[in-house]
Order: sequence, then C-alpha cells, then structure tokens
Amino acid sequence: MQIEMSRRKFLQGTVAMSVVGGTTISATNLFASNDTHDKKLTITTKTGVAKEVKNIATLCEMCVNKCAAIARVEDGVVTKLDPNPMFPKSKNMLCPRGNAGIQALYDPDRLKYPLIRVGEKGEGKFKRVSWEEAYEAILNGTDKFPGVAKILDEEQDNRSTFLFCAGEGMAEHTFKTFFSAFGSANWLNHSSICLQTVASAYGVTLGAYPQADLDNAEYIIMAGANRAEAIVTPDTMDAFKRTKGRGAKLICIDPRFTNTAAKADKWLAINPGTDLAFVLALTYVVLTEELYDKVYVGENFNGFEEYKKSVIDNQYTPEWAEKITGIQAEDIYQIARDFMAHAPKAVYYPGRRSTFSNNDFQLRRAMAIFQGLGGGIDTKGGLIFGKRLELGVHEGLEPIYARAEARAVDSSKSQKGHSGYADCAVVTDGGSWIGWRNRFLEDRMPYKVRGMFCYKHNPMMNMPNTKKTAQMLKKMELVVAIDTMPSDTVMYADVVLPECTYLERTDPVNTFSGVEPAIAQRNKVIAPMFETKPVIDIMRGLTEKISKPLFEISKKHDEDLQDELANLGEEEIVGEDGNVTKTAATMTKEEREAEVYAEFDLTKPFKHSQEEINAHMVESVYGKEAVEALNKNGVFYPNMDKFYKALSVNEYQYYPEKEKSYSVNGGKPKTPSQKVECNLANLEKKGVDPMPIWKDEYAFSVPGGKFKLLTGRHAQFTQSGTANNIVLRDLMHENYIWINKRVAKERGIAFGDKVEVSSKTGSVTIKAYPTEKIAPNQVFFIHGFGEESEALTWAYKNGGNDNAVIEDIIEPVYGAASMHETNVEIRKV
Amino acid sequence: MARYGMALDYKNCINCKACEVACKEENGILMGADKHRIWVGVKEIEGEYPFLSIVSSSFEPSQCQHCDDAPCQEVCPTNATYYDENGVVRVNADKCILCSYCMNACPYDARYVDDRTMTVDKCNFCSDTRLARGETTTACQNTCPTKVRTFGDLDDPNSEISELLRTREHFSLKSHLGTKPKLFYLT
Ligand code: SF4
Ligand code: SF4
Ligand code: SF4
Ligand code: SF4
Repeated sequence: MQIEMSRRKFLQGTVAMSVVGGTTISATNLFASNDTHDKKLTITTKTGVAKEVKNIATLCEMCVNKCAAIARVEDGVVTKLDPNPMFPKSKNMLCPRGNAGIQALYDPDRLKYPLIRVGEKGEGKFKRVSWEEAYEAILNGTDKFPGVAKILDEEQDNRSTFLFCAGEGMAEHTFKTFFSAFGSANWLNHSSICLQTVASAYGVTLGAYPQADLDNAEYIIMAGANRAEAIVTPDTMDAFKRTKGRGAKLICIDPRFTNTAAKADKWLAINPGTDLAFVLALTYVVLTEELYDKVYVGENFNGFEEYKKSVIDNQYTPEWAEKITGIQAEDIYQIARDFMAHAPKAVYYPGRRSTFSNNDFQLRRAMAIFQGLGGGIDTKGGLIFGKRLELGVHEGLEPIYARAEARAVDSSKSQKGHSGYADCAVVTDGGSWIGWRNRFLEDRMPYKVRGMFCYKHNPMMNMPNTKKTAQMLKKMELVVAIDTMPSDTVMYADVVLPECTYLERTDPVNTFSGVEPAIAQRNKVIAPMFETKPVIDIMRGLTEKISKPLFEISKKHDEDLQDELANLGEEEIVGEDGNVTKTAATMTKEEREAEVYAEFDLTKPFKHSQEEINAHMVESVYGKEAVEALNKNGVFYPNMDKFYKALSVNEYQYYPEKEKSYSVNGGKPKTPSQKVECNLANLEKKGVDPMPIWKDEYAFSVPGGKFKLLTGRHAQFTQSGTANNIVLRDLMHENYIWINKRVAKERGIAFGDKVEVSSKTGSVTIKAYPTEKIAPNQVFFIHGFGEESEALTWAYKNGGNDNAVIEDIIEPVYGAASMHETNVEIRKV
Repeated sequence: MARYGMALDYKNCINCKACEVACKEENGILMGADKHRIWVGVKEIEGEYPFLSIVSSSFEPSQCQHCDDAPCQEVCPTNATYYDENGVVRVNADKCILCSYCMNACPYDARYVDDRTMTVDKCNFCSDTRLARGETTTACQNTCPTKVRTFGDLDDPNSEISELLRTREHFSLKSHLGTKPKLFYLT
C-alpha cells in the first residue's frame, strides 16, 4: 500500500514508452523482471557487518575465462566477489556473472548429497544416500540399473563400453585423468559444440589457434563474434576501450545488430552462413590490387600461387559476393584496402564458439590466410601466439587394457561419399558429440556402449535436438553424473555425485599464455557445504572402491594381463649356441600381482590433495616463493614483484613494454613448415577441399514464410550453467525471441506476446521482442533457457531452449554441430 | 573531507551490467528491475534493418548524480536526505517517512523504495560499505570490464578525476536544471 508512489510506477511508464515511442532513454532494463522479490526479500548481503573478515584470491568459474577474483568472507559467509587486478588475462574486472558467483554458491537448489535413482529414468526421483552407498551403486548397481562391474564383465573388459564426457573447466583435467586410467577410448567434450572448427582450421593453417592483440590493433574486423556480449578476456576489455574513434577502428559483420555493432564504426548486416564469400572477396581485392605484404607472403606462405589462382579464376569479386552476402561491393573494396593499409596492425578476429554453418572450417581457413596476407601474425597488433610459462608435471596413469576397443566411430564411407568417416572427415580427441550420439541411437556402433560418466556437462541443454539426447540418456544403462546443480541431464542419471562449487575447492594450477603470460590458481574460499566434494576427492573415493574389483575383471578376460601375471620373474636367456634356458622365478605370485596391479591402480593419480599436487608442479619449476604467491594472490609470473604495478585506478602494468611477448616465433606461423598453409593436399585425401572455395550449396536461403533461427550468447548468462542464478535472472528474467518489428506488426505480434517456434526437430514457446535489429527472414534467441528440470526453481520452464528446435546438422569436416542451419516457423499463441 | 564525484568514459560501456550486480552484491540491494541504485540507459535503435543508426544506440550508464544543488534534499521535510561531509547525497533511513517527495523531485529518477525498511534508497557512493572500511573506490567502478568509471575527490587537484576533467571534454545530464551533478560524462 505504502508504495503507491514507488518507482515501479514511473518505470512501467518508461518501459512502455521505450517500446512504443521508440526514442526515450529507458532508465530500466526492458527484459528485467518486476515481479521478483518473490517471498524472500533479501538475496544479496550488504558487506561490512561482520566480526571476522578474510580476503581470498581465487578464479571465477562462471564462464570459461577464469578471471581472477578476491572473495570477501565475513564470518564464514562469502559476501562479495571483487576483481583481483593482478592477473594480466582478466586485468581488473569481473563481469556480471562473475559478480553473481555468490549465488551459485548459495543457490538453494544445489545438489547437496549423493543420490541414487529410485524412479523411472528421467523422472527425477532419487533417494539420498551416503557416499559409500553411491560408490557401491556405481560398482554393483541396484535393482534399477547395472553397475560398472557387471557391464565390464559382460563386455569382457572392453573399457570403451563406457563413455566419458566433460564440460570445460579447470578440474576437467582431473576427470580426464580418471578417464585415461579407466581405459576407455570414448571421450567427448564441449569442443564439437563450440570452437572445434575454428581451433582446428587455425591449427592446420597457422599451426595454432591464436590470440588477437586487440590492445594494439588499429583495425579490427569482428565477424560472427560478439565480444561486447560474449565476453572473452582480455579481448573484450582491450577492444572496447579503444573503439569509437579512440585508436581502433572496428568493423562488425553480423546478421544481427548486437552490442558489438553498437560499439563499431561500421556494422554490415550479412546473410547468415555467407561469411566465406565475404572473406574470399576481400582476398580477391587484396590479390588483384596487389595489396598484400609481398615480402611476408614470399617468405612465409605455402601454396600461395595455387590459392591466388583459385581465388582469381573463380572470380570471387566483391560484386559476386554482394549477391551472396548482402554486403555492398564498395564496402568490401573499402574494407580490404583499409585492412591492408593498417596491416600488420590489423586483425581479422578469429572468433570462438563458432560452428554456425556447414562451411565453417573453410571459412576459418580463409580468414587465417587473409590475416597472413597482411603479415599480421606473431606480431604486435596482429594475431599472436604468446608466451607460455611451463609448469611441472603431475603423473597420470595409462594402463594398457588389451580388451579395450578403439573409439566408437562409423568408418563406413557410405553416407557422405568420399569423406573419412560416415559422419565427418576427421575424428579428433574431443570427438563429434552429435555424431556420436546419433550413431549410438541408430545402433551404428562397432561394439556396445552401455554406460557413461558425465562431469559438469549438460548434453540435454548444450547440443541440438534435445529429444535425441533424452533418448540417448534413457538408452544408457548406467549414467553417473557429477555436477553442482540438478540440471536437465542430472535428471536422467542413475547415480548423482554432488560436486562443490568453484568457491569451495582448489583446482589444478594452470598456465595462461599470451602477450603477458601468467600462472594462476583457483584457491578454496570456504569449505565445501553440505556433503559436496571437489572432483579430485570424488575420484579418490570412487577409485578406492572400484579399482581392485575392476582389476579382477581384467584378470578374468585380458590374456595379456594373464601372461604378465604368470611370469614370476623368470627370464629367458639365449646362449651363444642358440639354446634357451630359463632362470628361476624370483618372485612369489603375490609379489608379482602387486607389481602388476601397480600399473592398474586407479587410485594412484588421486593419492595427493590438489594443494599438494599444485605445490609440486609449481615449486619444481619456480621455487617455493611461487607456491606462496599463488596461495596468497592466485597469480604468479617471474619478476612479478618488479613488473606489476598500478598505473591509475583503472590501469595496471603487468610487464614493461619491452618484456611483452608479442612475437615468439619470429613472426612466422607455428605450422611444422613454419608457413601459412594455403593448400592442404592431405585434406583432399579425406574428401575435404584443400583450399577454401565457395559452393552454391552454401548460399543463404529461407523458404517463404519461414525464418532462419540464430542463436548466441549474452553478457549476463553462460549457457545453461547460470540459468538458475537469481541475481542474473533479475537482469533478464527469461530469453525473448527477436523478430523484425515490421514482420511482427504484420503478424500482430507485440512485445511480450507468446509465440511458438517450431522446426523439424521440435518446438518451444517463448515471448517476443520485436526489433529492427534483425532481418525480416531471421529470428534469434539466446541459448541456455527453458530448462525442464523441476529441481531448478527459477530456471524450470523459464523461456525457451534453442536446442529443442535446432536441427542436429553435422558439419562435414570435424563433425561439429552447425548451429545456424535451421529454418523455423513462428506462430502467435 | 572530500568532494566525491565520478567521471564516466561512457563510450566504453558495453551494457554488460556488471556494475548493477556489483552494486546489489556490495550493498545488499533488493532484487527487481525497480530496485536498483544504478542502471544503463538504452535507446531503441533508429532506422529500419539493415539501415540502422549506430549513434542512436549508445549506452548511458547512470545512477544518482550527487547533485551539489539537489532538489531531493530541498524537498525532504524531515531532513532524511542530507549532504554528508564528502558532499555525497545520503538518505538517513531512520528519518525517512516515505512521503516520496524526493522521488518526484529528482529529475534523474535515481530513487526507489526499499520494501524492507519502507524508506527511500539510492546510490550513496558505497559510503556505508566500501568507503566506510577505508576503500578508495566504489563497487561499480572497481568491477567494470571496460573501465568506464573514475571515482575520486573533485577538490583534490591532483586526483585522477580532477586531471580527467581538466584534460577531457565532458558534459552533465540535464545541466539546464541547475542541479550541478557530480557525475561527468567524458566525450
Ligand atoms: S568473464 Fe565473467 S563469468 Fe567469465 S570468468 Fe570472467 S568474471 Fe567470471
Ligand atoms: S560495468 Fe561498465 S561496461 Fe558494464 S554496464 Fe556497467 S558501466 Fe557499462
Ligand atoms: S540525482 Fe536525484 S537523488 Fe541524486 S542528488 Fe540529484 S536529485 Fe537527489
Ligand atoms: S557508487 Fe556504490 S552505491 Fe553507488 S551505484 Fe556504484 S556501487 Fe552502487
């Protein structure tokens, strides 16, 4: 009652104005919610009211960037996360998600105890158990599901009958150590639904996936990357301090008018999936007008003449590209000339999460070659490789299991004609997630895969065609999920092991290469809450339980192992006459078994605490002081005490200019030949174009009445991982679908109206945001919303899940998921 | 004793809203779009796709302007709104009777009602949190990825903010109203 005059009233007026009237500056945020403060009024804690205060240096894990943070702990409660300015990668900032990390720690929906499934698979009915009971269920199953022992015994110790998958993170390494020791060949991670094609294309063309020196570049083409919203450190900070006529000219190429476009000097709307034609036309201009750095190309290119001939003979002119891309020819001429005028201090930004279309690999190759034409490689203001500070090693364990099969691929070349495998040309370490899942569902596996271990990974939300993922998880006989939150994937698990959040654990120390390299360590801020544990402790407990029983299964089925055990230390001695004599056994059976078991002892890599392992890895190279520095500051690099200083409240020096590692390879690419590889004959053998060329099938088209569905990221959310974060949700209550304003009007769709978006794969209902920032034949909404797990109070059925609609189209080279190849229909509901 | 102000290199702003979250976490602010001390103003873009006006879409980070001649302070019947020793415009919750005159008087829409105390609240330059424990800057300044903000003492000629205001062109919002804001937008 008393709040009659509250600000809410004024603001509602303002919101309406900014949508309808169009020009008023809105003091509030269109997408934020007014209906919050549900029951609990206070979510955040005011700082500075405690008796005991501690500040602990840690690293953020709200996204992949690992920014350095200082946690303020008051009477044992984390009340604030502040940026730790000592880390050159993150400089002195925390983004909104980094600030909201406290809510990940105190999220009431967190997984708190180990759980075992008691209901039907996917139903989300679990019972709370002890850690011992959970490990026992993994080993020996329950009446609802089989354990590892039964499955491995039935599959005669084929370790690859288990799939291991993990999301990106500092402790992914720990889980991968378990995977290696376990002996499976089936590993899948986020790369084929993220940066696989861009990393690989730059890898084969320039020898590494480079960083961009946006601190010194004078001219930046950012195409299909949205650094104002999809924050990458230090790129986001470096770039936008210098745009808008302050040192760096930014050309943004994107089908949507993003926040990056808002900060650019020029935004060019491009037809989705046609960037390759744009780059080829830039290349055409540079080659025909001879604008490229002839000395650099002469010394550092392989296959230049063939590529030049291909680009010119194919007539990839700006006029040709205009028809395909929608970008005017004169703009293409201008950009090509301007880029080369600024080169080598010019960057064609490589991008990251990126497989948007089927030609993505060739696009990234063309971008890398174009960059090379200006000589901006391994040099200040261009693309850089950066220096890396080496760390000591922590030994893993890689036993040889004779019965373990190789990775489950389908090598029948029937489907895509001449490519290397049925679903893609090249199979890499990260694998093709959707390819693997679909093969598994279609029984195109060379052997049975029956169980999976899933660490901090959410296949239900993270890859196209959610229905198929649900089928896959149902078909898996044993699913073990390790996570902090009851995600949609966790709902399908048989055993759930609760990990503590990043603020409750020390993670493997890591090295961050760059112009200003550093080593950084995530330090435990508070003790794990409830019964949660860091993954290294989970691995220790689990391996102590399963190591010996699994060894017994190997003994039963593995003939090599049986031979090894039978040999009690006899040696065969071949005499000069060729006669063979045997020495006597030097060991008892028990001694021999102990010796052999040591090679198979899964507990070995997890014997020490993470703190001890880190100390060892650092001290062996940089000494005790470095260990202490990391524990205290979270960051270390040689000479930090001399180099690091505050220059102003906003600027820090990490290295003096002459100590910066702009160039580590003499300005050359890092390929084995030390040259930019334009023409890759070995790819041709696998059915992949050896040079980037345009094909008619790449052209953009949308059937009348339909829309191309685009997806992307946002500064306030990190995929599904932050969907239940109440403070972030406060900034954007749910995701909205962007639809062109004029089209929306025609169809009678207003802001906030519910629309159904449907494709061949499925449909979602989501609220509309009519805007001119998108083309009439395209729609967009951000990824990570629309969870189906009822255990997520705020994320449950909140907004729409893009992957319920996106078709599972496999990019042909690495089997990545092509995210922007789906057409949808829109209907007001 | 100081006279605190803030300079905003607003062209750096990418509308990430880190400042909004930092403020809420530092100062224990309520959730809700209408419960914030700090925000980023955004204009609806002008033009039709693909002919859009980039300049029409700038981001304008804002909060209480800490006016030297604050209309909110003038109208407050109980003197709940006052200038503290550092020139920061503050609200004494114990004296606030929620007449909400100040909310109407403020030309910058900087004030809102805290439903817990049923009093008016707004940015106070983190005076009772960070500054009170001896820190030299605000939560929003500290966290900003692109370093939009510089906080400091306008009376100290050697402070960074004084230096910035001497060397860079700047403007204030609604300066014609004569409120004399202490938030300065650098051009
Ligand atoms: S970018 Fe944001 S979420 Fe990502 S690590 Fe840095 S602060 Fe955390
Ligand atoms: S933190 Fe900085 S860049 Fe982000 S919205 Fe606030 S002022 Fe803008
Ligand atoms: S901006 Fe508004 S609330 Fe702040 S001092 Fe000025 S009039 Fe008062
Ligand atoms: S100065 Fe402090 S109180 Fe004011 S908006 Fe910034 S963080 Fe909030």
